[in-house]
Amino acid sequence: MGRKNRFMVVDDELIVRESLAAWLEKENATVDRAESGEQALDFMERNLYDILFVDIKMPGMGGFGLLEKVKQFYPTTVVVIITAYGTVDHAVKAMKLGADDFLVKPFDPEGLGLLVTKLLEHKRLLEEKEYLKDEVIRVRGKTDEIIGQSPQMTALFEQIMEIAPTESSVLLLGETGTGKELIARAIHANSKRLGGPFVPINCGAIPESLMESEIFGYEKGSFTGAVRPKKGLIEVAEGGTLFLDEVGEITPKMQVDLLRVLQDRTFFRVGGVEPLKADFRLISATHRDLNHEVAAGNFRQDFFYRVNVITLRVPPLRERRDDIPLLVMHFLKRFARETNRNVDSLSEQAMKILTDYDWPGNVRELENVIERAVVTSRKRVITGDAFAYLNPLQVCVPQGNSPRTLEEAEIAHIRRILDEEEWNISRAAKVLDVDRTTLHKKIRKYGLQR
Amino acid sequence: MKKKEPPRTVHRPPSGYISVVPLGHIKEDVLRVVADSIQGVLRLPVDVTPEVGLPESAFMSARNQYNVLDLIKFLESNHAGPSLKVLGVTAKDIANPILTYVFGTAFMDGKAAVVSTARLQLSVNGELVSREQFLERVVKAAIHEIGHTFNIPHCHKDHCVMRASNSLTELDEKMSYLCDYCELFLAEAVGDALRTRSAQTRQAESG
Repeated sequence: MGRKNRFMVVDDELIVRESLAAWLEKENATVDRAESGEQALDFMERNLYDILFVDIKMPGMGGFGLLEKVKQFYPTTVVVIITAYGTVDHAVKAMKLGADDFLVKPFDPEGLGLLVTKLLEHKRLLEEKEYLKDEVIRVRGKTDEIIGQSPQMTALFEQIMEIAPTESSVLLLGETGTGKELIARAIHANSKRLGGPFVPINCGAIPESLMESEIFGYEKGSFTGAVRPKKGLIEVAEGGTLFLDEVGEITPKMQVDLLRVLQDRTFFRVGGVEPLKADFRLISATHRDLNHEVAAGNFRQDFFYRVNVITLRVPPLRERRDDIPLLVMHFLKRFARETNRNVDSLSEQAMKILTDYDWPGNVRELENVIERAVVTSRKRVITGDAFAYLNPLQVCVPQGNSPRTLEEAEIAHIRRILDEEEWNISRAAKVLDVDRTTLHKKIRKYGLQR
Repeated sequence: MKKKEPPRTVHRPPSGYISVVPLGHIKEDVLRVVADSIQGVLRLPVDVTPEVGLPESAFMSARNQYNVLDLIKFLESNHAGPSLKVLGVTAKDIANPILTYVFGTAFMDGKAAVVSTARLQLSVNGELVSREQFLERVVKAAIHEIGHTFNIPHCHKDHCVMRASNSLTELDEKMSYLCDYCELFLAEAVGDALRTRSAQTRQAESG
């Protein structure tokens, strides 16, 4: 069963709110009712809506004011404007302001049913467009989409721009999860081979018995089950870039075969007799120390020299802690959108836990941690509790500058809750279980400011 | 001279389960087929009450239609009695303030529902449909609205009677019974409603 849709009817007339909401509720949707634009925005801070049905004539900010705010802050939420008969010029203005459709009261029930179906599809397409935009950026691997402003990353970007236009083989060194494939894609995207394919092969994931046929392809009848010829990944990468991830895992036999391809620029399919031309740029990556592997006899020296014409080192996350907040916000935004959660920031304490942590799994680990936090969060602001499992000591043991007196502890606690609730006094008072007047008095007493 | 047959629908005092209330004059065969169908679907006794007049306050003179929301409130306030649910049946055209017409209306988990036979007599081409087809349409609309009062939403499976039908074509296309899923959910909801009512009765008696 699909996700339950969420709609909101915004109208100052009770009868309109109730009749439209009653109709929509039968579509197995959750329907909220707001009697003003201000109340609607308040609801939108807490929930994500698929479609808003908004009356134009309302006291306060009115339908147009609400429409502008929604399109500014929640661009994928669909807005339908409701107008009375004879005020179609309002509807025209609303469409110019970005409304997705309009209804003139009273409307035909058949038309309303079709409109809801059409708009839900429209909303799905809007979300898909956002997703695909990200996906294109990911696939094209533009350097400006690799997150990082630290000196280490700035230097890496400069190196990428320098070596990308050449045809030389590149070896990327870095711990697991540092984003080596993203760097490889960035090199490809900035090379002359951008028009060709980028073909990644995870050498550690393909069984040895299949490696040869996967990389070189095979001719019909070359072995049992080869009922038709198949292109190898080298052929697929023609005119583009071949990315050998975890190149340190390649068997010595395959190293010899690949070495021949790199030297002669020709290869044979398994069972084939015709030499085929190989036209690809090679980028390899490994988390192993290949010098050490060569010395130990596990990696052929001649193959090592072939793949290691240019070496780039991708720094681990703990060496570029300045980038953590940027990455956190990037992932937060992405997962909030993908999972439809209304989460948009982290408390100061939560961010401190993340920047202090050593991240042995690097960016990939950070990505997973943020995804988990977004999925499990029930508030807009993720607090330190969500990351307590990363470094329990940090959360439980008081730090040197932690509050000592009861008053200091009270100030710190009130400030933390106010920050978490974005200084919304009503919400903060509810969390603190005191009334608003008491909270106002405390704020004045301790001179707390936003 | 042929003796006039007495009406076959028996107006009994409400038993407290489901009441069908004719709002204005409704022919006996319509009331009987509606009551029998609901009884078959819910497996609960259904009573047909004597005819009651439509409240004038519900009439929207500008549109020459009755406001179905007002009719629902009227039934809830004056004719629900001890019944679990009440279904009003009228021959008048009904609508609500935002829709040009409706075949019937109910609030999810509400106490009352209303269906109108006004638009069910003609085909999409404006010709009179057979009595059989007309009665089938009335039954579909009645079961559909009663389903909503037991919190069953619109169904998107095949031709279940709980599928939304905003036109006569859509109404004709669907079946006059529930799909397996909706039937299951309805049986559960009816069971819950009966248990809640028993508990309330016990509480009232002991209190």
